[in-house]
Amino acid sequence: MTIGAAVREVFGLFFGLGRRMGRTRTFALLGLFPTAMAVAARIIMRGRTGDLAAVSTEILMVFFLQFYIVILALFYGTSVTAEEVENKTLSYLLTRPVPKPAMVLGKFAAYAALMFAMVAVGLGISFFILNAARMGDPALYAAFFRYLGVLGLGILAYTAFFAFLGTILKRAIILGLVFGFGWETIIQYFPGSTQRFSIVHYLKSLLPYRPGSGGGRGVALLLFRLEPTSPALAVLALLGITAAFLALACAIFRAKEYLTED
Amino acid sequence: MTAVISASHLSKYYGNVLGLNDVSLEIEAGITGFLGPNGAGKSTFMKLATGQMKPNIGTVTIRGRRTWNSPAIFRSIGFCPEADAFYEDMTGFEFLAGLLRFYGFSGKEIGERAARALDIVELAKDKDRLIRGYSRGMRQRVKFAQAIAHDPEILILDEPLSGLDPLGKRKLIKLIKGFKDEGRTILVSSHVLPEIEALTSRVILIHQGKVLAEGDVPYIRDLIEAHPHMISIRSSDPRALAARFVGDPSVLKMTFGPDGRTIVVETRKRDDIFGRLAPVVLEAGIEVDEISSPDDNLGAVFEYLVGK
Repeated sequence: MTIGAAVREVFGLFFGLGRRMGRTRTFALLGLFPTAMAVAARIIMRGRTGDLAAVSTEILMVFFLQFYIVILALFYGTSVTAEEVENKTLSYLLTRPVPKPAMVLGKFAAYAALMFAMVAVGLGISFFILNAARMGDPALYAAFFRYLGVLGLGILAYTAFFAFLGTILKRAIILGLVFGFGWETIIQYFPGSTQRFSIVHYLKSLLPYRPGSGGGRGVALLLFRLEPTSPALAVLALLGITAAFLALACAIFRAKEYLTED
Repeated sequence: MTAVISASHLSKYYGNVLGLNDVSLEIEAGITGFLGPNGAGKSTFMKLATGQMKPNIGTVTIRGRRTWNSPAIFRSIGFCPEADAFYEDMTGFEFLAGLLRFYGFSGKEIGERAARALDIVELAKDKDRLIRGYSRGMRQRVKFAQAIAHDPEILILDEPLSGLDPLGKRKLIKLIKGFKDEGRTILVSSHVLPEIEALTSRVILIHQGKVLAEGDVPYIRDLIEAHPHMISIRSSDPRALAARFVGDPSVLKMTFGPDGRTIVVETRKRDDIFGRLAPVVLEAGIEVDEISSPDDNLGAVFEYLVGK
């Protein structure tokens, strides 16, 4: 079996399995929380559009960008290998005629697809509720897909990083929490090039409005202290982070032996 | 015969803990029993043999190929792990079909193979139930089913009979023997002596990471000639019989059985005792109902070897 075919089969198995996991239901519900926020904001706005909708959208993006995709990637990413070890199901995978990297890549792809679906549904509903007054404006759809693209890239980069952590550490989730909600939260506000050592910096650099360009609206929560990288470089950086950590995760998973508690 | 599974000076350490110590052995086609108490190193050997772990020293090969990071060999290997671990949110059928995807079978063949394997372990009726709802015995059987579903030439079964009721055990033993008759190689581990005895006479005794003995039961007995043998004789007049043997230098100890008709003779020279028994009973006119050797059971051999 080629590695491509093996990745496809692993993807198929874990996408199906992932859909019915209790964790997926919980996170899908959490992803709908902004919908409630959006409905509340619409009631408060009472027909007003413009800046208020923009501010609300930005708050929405803070939730998705700095909380939801991080927590999703943390739990799904670390579980790519760690849950197999903890649940002692790794034996079933390791004794199949499948190259080990295919297991990491297939499971990563399956979980990334699941997370993207959850994010797309949550963001889609809440975004269009908030911006219902501009439904005829093509720019709205462009903005939506840009937001979604940014979140998709965030899912890939964060999940690859956490998958890497999961392959090397037994309790990866603790370090993952420190990284996701400690390092990432603090370092992005550092001046100069230091903020480039966070994933969220590149994600924010891709948002559809720029500081000082006249496009920033509302309180620009997401742009606070941002010294953006160019969009092309930001995309490259995010894809590079994804590829590098996935390659590391595959190499470690291939070389390391995993001992279960028994 | 050619060895299917070979280990040469195989050692495995878990930090400072010894898992397996300088094990060299060859396993041929047929059923080989791996016997030893919990923590003896049986599972460690099986994990090394199935490429789940990497040896610290030595090698383990299947059909001449090292098992670590050699996924291609798993086409011909079926492994049944000891751990009671599953993807609980899957049905039995989905579990098997999901794992069968990795062999390149068509969708139709995956379905047929999964159904056939579940039928063999008598889970066809429950194939659409979630594994989390299965009883312990059913879980054990579905675990066995995933090991055989791709029709492997080599089966490595880690404690496959644990958790099964007596009837379930009997059925699985019959099934495993059936695979042997098809010319497959089967390595089965257990810490329960009668289970291994019921499966095979070819046994590897393992304890504290070392192979204590290997061969069939008589061979193992030959290895332990120094081990005192027990001979139980049930007769019409056990006291008269005991009187004839009491002065015999071959006898180490003699006790009367609880039924009052049996004497149990402990000796290092079993053949001498048997040689003398016939003339003694003829001369004394004692009727002998039964002669048996209680420690012909593997249990006595194992206990002796472990205690040695």
